[in-house]
Amino acid sequence: MTASEPFNQAKDVTPHKRFSSGRILAIASNTLTELTRTKVFYFLFIFGLVLLGSSMLSNNFSFGEEFQMLKDVALGAIGIFSTLLAILSTAMLLPRDIEDRTLYTILAKPVPRHDYILGKLLGVFYLLFISIAVMSVLFIILLAHREGIRIGQAALMYENPDDLVAAQNQIRAAAFTPGLWAGLFLILLRACILAAVTLLLSSFATSNLFTIVMAFTVYLIGHIQSIARQYWLESGDLNAFQKVFLSITAIIFPDLQMFNIVDEVVVGRAVPWFLVIKVFGLGTMYILIYLGATLALFRSKEL
Amino acid sequence: MDETPAISLKNVTKRFPIPFRRKAVLAVDNLSLDVPVGQVYGLLGPNGSGKSTTFKVALGLVTPDSGDAFLFGKPSRDVASREEVGFLPENPYFHKFLTGAETLRFFCRLCGLSGAKLTSRVKDLLHLVGLDYAADRRLSGYSKGMLQRIGLAQALVQEPRIVILDEPTAGVDPAGSREIKNLIFQLKEDGKTVLLCSHLLTQVQEVCDRIGIMAAGRLVEEGALDDLIGLRDQIEIRVSGGQTELLQKIEALVTAEGGKVLSIGRPRTTLEDHFLEVTGALSERRSN
Repeated sequence: MTASEPFNQAKDVTPHKRFSSGRILAIASNTLTELTRTKVFYFLFIFGLVLLGSSMLSNNFSFGEEFQMLKDVALGAIGIFSTLLAILSTAMLLPRDIEDRTLYTILAKPVPRHDYILGKLLGVFYLLFISIAVMSVLFIILLAHREGIRIGQAALMYENPDDLVAAQNQIRAAAFTPGLWAGLFLILLRACILAAVTLLLSSFATSNLFTIVMAFTVYLIGHIQSIARQYWLESGDLNAFQKVFLSITAIIFPDLQMFNIVDEVVVGRAVPWFLVIKVFGLGTMYILIYLGATLALFRSKEL
Repeated sequence: MDETPAISLKNVTKRFPIPFRRKAVLAVDNLSLDVPVGQVYGLLGPNGSGKSTTFKVALGLVTPDSGDAFLFGKPSRDVASREEVGFLPENPYFHKFLTGAETLRFFCRLCGLSGAKLTSRVKDLLHLVGLDYAADRRLSGYSKGMLQRIGLAQALVQEPRIVILDEPTAGVDPAGSREIKNLIFQLKEDGKTVLLCSHLLTQVQEVCDRIGIMAAGRLVEEGALDDLIGLRDQIEIRVSGGQTELLQKIEALVTAEGGKVLSIGRPRTTLEDHFLEVTGALSERRSN
């Protein structure tokens, strides 16, 4: 150590701001580095194997069945991996920083608690975006490869050029439907909602296990709550208590049933853009509600 | 002259509730404390006496049940007040997945530094704490002493006027401990205010101007170091090259004047100085 070095130079730091995108981005990129260096991306190998296995099985089917199965397996796997990633990686973020006392050193700097929470959540969103983007690229590459093979096979089957062009157009239409991009986007949105719920749970949970179990419970309730609501609404008049209960449940638990649009994508049905926009709006509302609750709880948390 | 203390705590009380019980642990009990600007203040006390909670209240990390804390007159709950303070927590665990340089870069970005200023600040700080050689090594491979030094560096990123050090030399070898001590002297020379706590009382005695002693959450004694431990009725004389005859003359003179020689002996160097001389650790580390 060189104690004689001068370190009382003129201050280079910028004046304190209540909200700083620079601080939030610093925490977000640090969170992404943290998650990346915990080797979280190893699951991509498993995803690759799942894709490879499904493509090997698909030779026995017609092109329509093959593409549907590929989409089913790929979108299903992307959905499962993104759900696991959103819940498991978010659950440990706050408890680890508190346990390792890294939170003290961060909040002892001029960093407001809301910047810290926003940075952490943004870091997880980065991770989810990168993971889903990488899985999507792998899936698209495989789909394009299989499409090429099927088009090549069609060239051998059809001698009439008109028939060949028609067959090739059918193959292209079955492989890449516009709804595919909407499906991938909605999977990302659902994962972001689950990350926001998990962050909220971890802000008051006493253990990681509690956070993870509760997050999966929310996930399950999110999938069945709209069915229960529909059943009650159809069963007749509701009393005031039931109405209040239903309203509170609808706000607390995200309606994940709305993401079943992805199933439509698998079977190749067109997904109306207004529906995607509506789901995006609802999803964003859920994220903002959970984020607001997390900020309120974390603001008063004793460290 | 500005009389506003660097750190001021007014009647601070803090209790921590025990989960599932109606009781609460009284961590800090009606504590009032002023740390004057430019002084090195040592807060002492046994484990569980409330020192760390006092630090957290001063930093605005914990909200007191009653009372207030101020940094240069600004409420410590105000996030902007933390621009003036750097903090090294006890046993600092930083993100182990980051390298030393990445750690400092992260904290610099939190304090609003960017671009060339950030790069040069990181370089200066690594040099300051003698970790240039380990800049690109992950913290998971750092020794306890190295972690403590990177902790000190992060505390200084925004060039704060106050530095709060919770057990800065815990687990550090004598050479590292001496370096931290020298750094505290340097901070004082640069006009910084330092609040520290340590169980190594000899070191506290060497660096601190003022001492506060806490027990059971209360400040039981407080004052300038000389006032607290100086023996006002005794004088120490050290003589170099004296013979037995000279000592006898001095003793006779003291007795003739009504005084009493309490002890005559050969003074010792400190064990720390001797250790450093033998191991040459300090010079070796500097040459790194």
